[in-house]
Amino acid sequence: MATDHLERGALAGVAGGLVYGLFVATVGNSFTAGLETFEHGHGGSGPVVSGLTTTITSVGGGVFWGLLFGVAVFGIGYYFLEPALPGTGATRRLALAGAGFLTVSGAPWLVLPPQPPGVEQALSTETRLAWYGGLMLAGALVAVACGVAYRRASSRSRPVTVAATLAPLALLAIPVVLSPANPVHGDVPAALVAAYRWTVVFGQSVLWGTLAAAHTWLGESATTSVDTDYPATAD
Amino acid sequence: MQATDDSVSNRIERARASLTGTQVAVALALVAALGFTLLFVQDPMLHDSLHNFRHSAGITCH
Repeated sequence: MATDHLERGALAGVAGGLVYGLFVATVGNSFTAGLETFEHGHGGSGPVVSGLTTTITSVGGGVFWGLLFGVAVFGIGYYFLEPALPGTGATRRLALAGAGFLTVSGAPWLVLPPQPPGVEQALSTETRLAWYGGLMLAGALVAVACGVAYRRASSRSRPVTVAATLAPLALLAIPVVLSPANPVHGDVPAALVAAYRWTVVFGQSVLWGTLAAAHTWLGESATTSVDTDYPATAD
Repeated sequence: MQATDDSVSNRIERARASLTGTQVAVALALVAALGFTLLFVQDPMLHDSLHNFRHSAGITCH
């Protein structure tokens, strides 16, 4: 039964990965390449691999990115968290997808927003890695807090439930205030940086949305509704 | 906390009963390896190849 969940998570991951790979192939690669024209002397030596390799590997990376979330979040995570997720059917998947987005991208981006190539950041790579990891943990904790708040408030009226469920998100203001300043400098116009950031946000949203949709489409696991010790009989 | 038979702790119990330690270790190792390869490997060859992907996904820890 756990392997059944894992399999469905992996299938959803393949679907999400293919859609996200297509996004990287059509939008991500060319947008990044275009932004690189603003770059001058990124670390001195330049890339060690050809453009074609980068294109293909990045598309593959996109596919595996979806597969990773499918297995980890919808395979393993959904198996354990299913009883605690709000609602039924698609609502549950969307709640889990929202929690996943918050953990992997949403919370870290509050301190370290996506930067286009050619923008130099003041903080060192190690510092940023540590902050990114810490904020992923913070995002996961806040997502759990939202789930607990939903449990407590679910018997109230709908607006109260919604407000109570989303209230823990305000906790993310704490790391934002505490984080060190990270001034950036680069020649990319501000409007283009905004367009790039929102493209990234929508790209990740499409990935999580596809994962949730594919996982919903696969239906409920047989073990979700009834879990008997007897083998199922076909008749 | 919950009156019903199905809860998160119940799921953990079930997983414990039906999965071996090796299975869990292999699953976690695969997930960790995939995540690490995509995000944190600083080897120039792989790192540069995944450059567009990381910018598309908004992870710019490099």
